[in-house]
Amino acid sequence: MTVTGEVGAWSARESGAPAVVAEGLTKVYGQGDTAVHALRGVDVSFATGAFTAIMGPSGSGKSTLMHCLAGLDTVSSGRVRIGDVELTGLGDKQLTLLRRERIGFIFQAFNLLPTLTAEQNILLPLEIAGRQADRVLFDRVVETVGLRDRLGHKPTELSGGQQQRVAVARALISKPQVIFADEPTGNLDSRSGAEVLSFLRSSVRELGQTIVMVTHDPVAASYADRVVFLRDGGLVSELERPTPQAVLDTLMKLEA
Amino acid sequence: MLRTTLAGLRAHRLRLLLTSLAIALGVGFIAGTFVLTDTIEAGFTQKFAAAGDRIDVAVFPDSGRRGEEEPSLPAAALEKVRGVDGLAEAQGLVRGTAALLGKDGKAAGDRPTSGISIPEGRLNRTVIAGGAAPRNGGEAVLDEGTAERHGFKVGDTIAVLDAKEVRHEFRLVGLVDLSLDQELVYTGAVGFTTGTAWSMTGAEGFHEIDALAAEGVGQEELRASVAAALGSGVTVKTGEAYAADMARANGADDDVITMGLLMFGLVAMFVAALVIYNTFNILVAQRTREMALLRCIGATRGQVFGSIVLESVVVGLLSSGLGLLLGYGLGAGALAVLSSLDVPLPAVTPSLAPRTIALGLVIGLAVTVGAALLPARSATRVAPIAALRTQVEERVFRTGAVRVVAAALFLVAGAGATVAALSMPVGQAALVVVMAGGSLVFFALLILGPVLVRPLSAFVGWVPRRLFGVPGRLATDNSRRNPKRSATTTVALTVGVTLMTLIAVLTGTLRVTYSAKLDEQFPVDYMVQPQDRGSELSRALAEDLRSRPELTSVVALRGAVAEVGGKGAEYEVGTFTASRDFRPSLESGSIDLLKPGTAVVANYVAEDLGVKVGDRVPVKTAEAGTVELTVVALFDPQRASLSGVTVPEAEFDRYFGQVGDSSIMVNARDGVAFDRARAAVDAAADPYPTAKVASSTEVRSEFDESLDMMLMIITGLLGLSVLISLLGIANTLSLSVHERTRESALLRALGLTRPQLRRMLSVEALILGLIGALVGVALGVVYAWAAARTMTTDVSFQVPVLQILAFVALSGLAGVVAAVLPARRAARASIVGSLASG
Ligand SMILES: Nc1ncnc2c1ncn2[C@@H]1O[C@H](COP(=O)(O)OP(=O)(O)OP(=O)(O)O)[C@@H](O)[C@H]1O
Ligand SMILES: [Mg+2]
Repeated sequence: MTVTGEVGAWSARESGAPAVVAEGLTKVYGQGDTAVHALRGVDVSFATGAFTAIMGPSGSGKSTLMHCLAGLDTVSSGRVRIGDVELTGLGDKQLTLLRRERIGFIFQAFNLLPTLTAEQNILLPLEIAGRQADRVLFDRVVETVGLRDRLGHKPTELSGGQQQRVAVARALISKPQVIFADEPTGNLDSRSGAEVLSFLRSSVRELGQTIVMVTHDPVAASYADRVVFLRDGGLVSELERPTPQAVLDTLMKLEA
Repeated sequence: MLRTTLAGLRAHRLRLLLTSLAIALGVGFIAGTFVLTDTIEAGFTQKFAAAGDRIDVAVFPDSGRRGEEEPSLPAAALEKVRGVDGLAEAQGLVRGTAALLGKDGKAAGDRPTSGISIPEGRLNRTVIAGGAAPRNGGEAVLDEGTAERHGFKVGDTIAVLDAKEVRHEFRLVGLVDLSLDQELVYTGAVGFTTGTAWSMTGAEGFHEIDALAAEGVGQEELRASVAAALGSGVTVKTGEAYAADMARANGADDDVITMGLLMFGLVAMFVAALVIYNTFNILVAQRTREMALLRCIGATRGQVFGSIVLESVVVGLLSSGLGLLLGYGLGAGALAVLSSLDVPLPAVTPSLAPRTIALGLVIGLAVTVGAALLPARSATRVAPIAALRTQVEERVFRTGAVRVVAAALFLVAGAGATVAALSMPVGQAALVVVMAGGSLVFFALLILGPVLVRPLSAFVGWVPRRLFGVPGRLATDNSRRNPKRSATTTVALTVGVTLMTLIAVLTGTLRVTYSAKLDEQFPVDYMVQPQDRGSELSRALAEDLRSRPELTSVVALRGAVAEVGGKGAEYEVGTFTASRDFRPSLESGSIDLLKPGTAVVANYVAEDLGVKVGDRVPVKTAEAGTVELTVVALFDPQRASLSGVTVPEAEFDRYFGQVGDSSIMVNARDGVAFDRARAAVDAAADPYPTAKVASSTEVRSEFDESLDMMLMIITGLLGLSVLISLLGIANTLSLSVHERTRESALLRALGLTRPQLRRMLSVEALILGLIGALVGVALGVVYAWAAARTMTTDVSFQVPVLQILAFVALSGLAGVVAAVLPARRAARASIVGSLASG
């Protein structure tokens, strides 16, 4: 596959429907008196080829929303669609296959299997899916995240920033329809964080990747094309082309 | 600190239970052994005491000179005893041989039954289990076991051969319990009135005289006067001493069984110790942060150490208690099984002796705490700073110099001992040295385990890696990511598999070696022998066999013991009757040289007497005085079944008279079916009740059966150790699963399905099981070979390949089974919840 071919594959999505759509999403933990309404009727959609950030105070339901969107957790009511697939009602097996084929993940910590080298970790989703790695894409991704000379190392031999970059590379390599990232820079210093965020943004710009990222950091959010704000399990506001200052202002307003 | 420890224990009840079970099984086995043997012993002691109570004094003949017949007390001795002052009553007991005939008219059983007298009156010690004692010459009783084996019940008519093999019929009036007398249990017995017992057995005098003291006369007093009346040549005991002696002799038998069973119990405890050691090691590793936190907030090293030791004390006490209960159940169960198998056991309720309780608690506690000491020490090495590290560090294992040196020392010592033992003369000493060498090599493996795990898992994991894709590859990686942990887990299994393989190979080798020997010593299809090996078969039987067309090469052997060489040494002098084509294989010379005045001599006899071919030896015959015979040929008794000194047939008759045959060997004629040939031999033997027919197939299958039985029992007993090691695998795996919760969640998020995750853990367990089994098989085979070499010289070494493959396959399978629960737990865990944990 040529480089233009890949870009083509991604850009084809840009023109289509949103990558992820949620309608009337609610999530309740527990029952009766102790029930926690983590999500109360969220309607949101994420455009294909866009970088969206989810923000909100602690406990506002960001992680819960992301888990529900990614099929890691079941919803109490409402619907989630990834591409043309309706998630609600899918069994564990189908959800697993969906994650394998269409979704990439980057977590805040503990992203990598300690027994595998960086390269093996990057290729793991493809191997699980039984797909052949696209060497050209692999080289490009590795080049982009700057890990060429670290491929043979085990996670314990990498810095936190390097580990997160490996996770980014892993999320990119399978060309998923959408990448979900939960506070990917939460554990990194500002320089490493900025690096990782630049990679994420360039993968959206250059490869047409769709990314949904949960973050607490207004600076991180400013790398996104759009920010949506959650409070008490509901969508309360959003910003297009955010600047750190604008994000901070909105947050202040929310917490007030 | 105490509160923290207990809270921690309570929080992990399940894990605690699994760990306890390993120790509980070991303690349970040991306690069960004691419950079983204590109960049996108590029952017998009670019975002996009851039997001893019935008599005040017992008189026995001193054992006679070697080679003499069973010693007895002359009938006059009874009169002398009856004349003693202070005696109320005395009875003589008769014992000899009186062969019971089975319902088919042939002598019943492999050995002739004993014939005994059942005394009347107060002195009758025989427990009548049903019916009555014989009152006249037409009545008899049987012991319960014999009656059951041959299908006789009270009211039946039984036939018994007397000493001259004349058949007599009796009415069976009762059954007796003879379980106190091991000899009678072995032979079975027919009981008569005293007079009939004499006439049937041909015995003279008494086997024992029992006496009761008159009112007011003490046992010891009577004993002294009886001893004075009888003089030397007899042993006189009081009833009490008699009961105590019998109980002691029986107890010694029990001790052998107890020791044997305890060996297996100790192996089980050793395996349990490995499991506990591993569990505590993992727990300490997993709680590194917890320990560090405790240290941060001011706990001393001693307190951390104490908390782990305290945990092990609780586990130890709990599991020993559980083990004692288990042991009681096991003991009671074994008693129930034994009595349902009609093993004659006295009825006593099983009891947990205080000694058993103490021993169980001490062993359980000592093993648990002992195994936890090293992990507890490593817990004290946790630096407070470790609390601040986020990601749990992967322990990188490096092969230390100390480990290599220690392993090398053990290995060299073990291998050296083994090689040295192989060049020692065959015998017990060499075997012991080989076993010591084996143990040393095992410890070398134990030390070297973590180093060996990597290459072994690469080897064993080769197939799963290719067969199971990503789960297979991850499983192989996981199986060696913590070499120490994997090594200890697998070594526990290795112990059981090594011993099982050792036994399997040894029995296999024994089977083949024996089979080869059997072919040499029993080179015929059938052998006819008298039931009582000391008696003879009518010569007419061999003639009859010769006349049957289905049979061929009938060789009859007969012989008599005579002094040979003129220096008092006695050997069997015999002859054979056979057709011209009988050609026993000789070492030198030829059977054709056997003419009147000559003899063919076994090489050991020639060696003893210092004679060689051409020399003359004097033989003191019964009827022809001392004759001088020329040695014309020598033979190896292993290869030719002939009497030590073999003379021509006619000459033998001249020397010793009309002696009957001692054994007859017969072959089926070529082309005659097995059952037809057998029927012909049986038909010929039918008129002779004592003639027992054995076929080589029967002898072989009997031997095979007893070997199989032994193999089964030992394998079953070793199964306990294997079971414990499987608990260890399950435990290690579930702790590992716990530790890798987030990893599993990550894999699931990345698209690993639940079945794939389960398979990953199953394959890991499979690899661990196979590593343990392979090492065990290798060690077992090598040491079985070495052990066999020290047992006999000409072994035909035999590896029962199928059996060993089965061990390996079963170990792998068992590993997979052990992984079922941990794997299910891992697969069930919610991804979101697991990602958040830790
Ligand atoms: N498994 C659970 N059981 C019960 N309540 C839960 C569970 N998981 C989350 N919650 C609750 O749901 C609400 C939303 O939690 P969520 O983790 O989505 O918040 P968040 O926005 O990601 O917060 P943070 O920024 O701290 O990560 C919180 O009130 C939380 O306590
Ligand atoms: Mg969160």
